[in-house]
Amino acid sequence: MVLMEYSELEMLIVRIRKISGFDFSGYARPSLLRRASRYLTTHKMDFPQLLAYIEQGGNVVYGLIQELTVNYSEMFRDADFFMKVKAEVFTYLESYPTLRFWVAGCASGEEAYSLAIFLKEAGFLNRSLIYATDLSNKALTAAREGIFTLGNVRTFSENYLAAGGKHSLSDYYHVAYNKAAMLPELRRNIVFSMHDLTGDGVFNEFQFVSCRNVMIYFTLELRQKVFRLLYDSLSMLGFLCLGKRETLRYSGLEENFKVIDSTLNIYQKIR
Amino acid sequence: MSMAKDNGSLNLVLIGGSSGSFAIFEEIIRLVRNPLSFALIFVLHRGKSSTAVLPEIFKNKTNVAMSEPYHLDLIETNSIYFAYPDYHLLIGPDRRFYYDCTDKDFFSRPSIDATFISAAASGISVKAAMLFSGSSADGALGMKTLAEKGFPTYVQNPAEAESPRMPEQAILAYEKHRVMTGGNLFSIINDILQ
Repeated sequence: MVLMEYSELEMLIVRIRKISGFDFSGYARPSLLRRASRYLTTHKMDFPQLLAYIEQGGNVVYGLIQELTVNYSEMFRDADFFMKVKAEVFTYLESYPTLRFWVAGCASGEEAYSLAIFLKEAGFLNRSLIYATDLSNKALTAAREGIFTLGNVRTFSENYLAAGGKHSLSDYYHVAYNKAAMLPELRRNIVFSMHDLTGDGVFNEFQFVSCRNVMIYFTLELRQKVFRLLYDSLSMLGFLCLGKRETLRYSGLEENFKVIDSTLNIYQKIR
Repeated sequence: MSMAKDNGSLNLVLIGGSSGSFAIFEEIIRLVRNPLSFALIFVLHRGKSSTAVLPEIFKNKTNVAMSEPYHLDLIETNSIYFAYPDYHLLIGPDRRFYYDCTDKDFFSRPSIDATFISAAASGISVKAAMLFSGSSADGALGMKTLAEKGFPTYVQNPAEAESPRMPEQAILAYEKHRVMTGGNLFSIINDILQ
């Protein structure tokens, strides 16, 4: 394992910005340091070698940025969260004629497919649109394909049942070449598109925004800016979902939300 | 960004363990006396579906404030913290906790290495780091990194650990850790924490 120091990380951030224009200055340093150290380790290089290596620019820097920004997710992550969403949020939204959901920072589509499946089981997927966005084209390509390894799907299936799924997850995918491909009919109501939470603006109004374990990778200052974007993207009485260890604290918007569940971090916009 | 109130005086005590460590953690919590001159941070391997709330379980053992912190919470002296299941708990140079959901280390999230390595890089003073019983190699790199920064590191005697692999691996990675041996484990720990 090769470990990087914060002083080196700051140099790397400057070099990446000079070479590619991508700006990591709003990214939380502790997590970025961990990811950068892992990059050095997996690529078997030390810090000076990394600096020399990225001078090539192009795909080399692009690959590094990918690895430093990729988000890890799984379908139906936190069964108790999905139980609560079905019991308290879906029942509330049920009466709306049309619904828009936003999965902000969707990685390879896990959360978007999870929502689609539970919306289908609740009976209103066909009047819902799920916008799933990420800054990584690579992640979005994977998300559109909706193909997962059988190992991952085993975990997803356990999560699905723990979250109160009505059927078997295998009803929603078919297996080919040792992979699981999500059924195209789930995709019909999902729009995968590129969006950078740190730079792009509001693009629609939503009744539900899920941004779980995404803002933990941003600095306190950038996080406040992204919170504002999510707030502005929510319709009045729309729901905001954060990861289990995140809170509205330090967001500057605490007063504008009602707490639906403080443990599972589900909030409703009230002003 | 606001800094911790006790600017300049924060000290960390880091404690890691896995299978066979729970009872030791419990005893350490019973042992420490309010007020602590440091922040005490426990990383125990737990499954992602673990619903045990450690501050609840230990609440009759101590009157020191305990929590599973939230992202960006300030690390305070005279507090006990526990890593939360399915996240790595990182320690930032701004004295805040940071969560991270990247890959597991040694099949573990939280991992001991993640917390210990982040502490070593943070520039915050570490009064002691201790590693106890467990059946993986997690923690070895974190302990080595802390020791090389000059912080005191202590490893349970593998021969006395319920699962010897974790302390063994730490000693293999860095032979100059102080091995807690030659007497009652808890009186040794008590002396270190004085």
